[in-house]
Amino acid sequence: MMSAHSEEALKALMLLSLDGDEAAYRRLLNAVRVLLIGYYSRRMAAATKADMEDLVQETLLALHSRRGTYDRERPFTAWFFSIARYKLIDHHRGRGGRIMAETELGEDVESDYNEEALTARMDVERLLEGLPEKQRELIRQVKIEGQSVADTASRIGQSESAVKVGIHRGLKALAEKLRGGK
Amino acid sequence: MRKTDNIIDSLVGDLKPVPRHALERRFAIGILPALAVSLVLMLAILGLRIDMAEALMLPAFWIKSAYNALLAIAAFLAAYHLARPDGSQGRFFQIAAAIVVTMAVVAVIQLIMSPVDTYPKMILGSSALHCPLLIFLFALPVFAGNIWVLRRGAPTELRLTGFIAGIAAGAAGAWVYSWFCTENGMPFVLIWYSLGILLTGILGSLMGPRLLRW
Repeated sequence: MMSAHSEEALKALMLLSLDGDEAAYRRLLNAVRVLLIGYYSRRMAAATKADMEDLVQETLLALHSRRGTYDRERPFTAWFFSIARYKLIDHHRGRGGRIMAETELGEDVESDYNEEALTARMDVERLLEGLPEKQRELIRQVKIEGQSVADTASRIGQSESAVKVGIHRGLKALAEKLRGGK
Repeated sequence: MRKTDNIIDSLVGDLKPVPRHALERRFAIGILPALAVSLVLMLAILGLRIDMAEALMLPAFWIKSAYNALLAIAAFLAAYHLARPDGSQGRFFQIAAAIVVTMAVVAVIQLIMSPVDTYPKMILGSSALHCPLLIFLFALPVFAGNIWVLRRGAPTELRLTGFIAGIAAGAAGAWVYSWFCTENGMPFVLIWYSLGILLTGILGSLMGPRLLRW
């Protein structure tokens, strides 16, 4: 099964949404909402939770009102994270915190969502497909989306150590796959 | 969290299909009528150049027209790409530089082939001072059309997008003005037309961050 947050899956949902498919659109918005929480929480260490929720909502509204600017031939995540990044910069600017925005938006963000990083991410997705579903989801949530071990553990109803062990095993299996593949 | 759920509900409820090429269509709707307004304005205020019939035979007339048209097309294309959040200006600055350099070469060739006493006429002409201002004036409707389109787009580099939108409008305004202007000196076009285009570009880069924010 394809992951709910892979480029391929999101793009498929976006294309359906552009044609007016409401169910697909709802799934898309719920999926990108999770991505946004991960994205902003990694970049707004000092921010309050209410602030982040505002930003997530504003980005969802922007996705909606600007959806006509999506080019169906190009990756969805590149388009979407460009909006997220713009909204983050705009958010800091609105507070007169231009300098802060620029320091926080260092190479980290710049390098995260260029085409090269995207293809790399798609490669990672492909690798992950080979893992058992549970390990795959743990690695995705913690290592790729950047959510905390504690949050992930409480969401799936397991202990933190179980999450850590799952991730560790998954990564080990990936490493072996890579070694074996070469 | 509850509120976000509500927002998602209302966005889903508001979903309407987006036609393919929605952005291209919006550019056409915003810019072509604006260009028509500029042309009508020019015809009403100035009229076509008095020697139009002969001018159509002059390479100088067509080179002048092509210079502005090519700059406008390059800038409009770049502005179109910049209207997408993940778009870039591509090679706009290289292309614009190539067009200007080609024009400079043409201007130098024309100067070399002409007697020295015609230089003032070819460089300053008889309209050097008001030419850039009139170009700026005829650029304004197109500039407004451009901004109208881009405000519904999602540009992320507001100053750059404003600048290029200004250059596009300026070059379109210059193209409109070239139907009136009787100057045949290529150095004149290179200097004074480019100045008028640049003025509009500066206007765009100043207004971009304010007007294009979303």
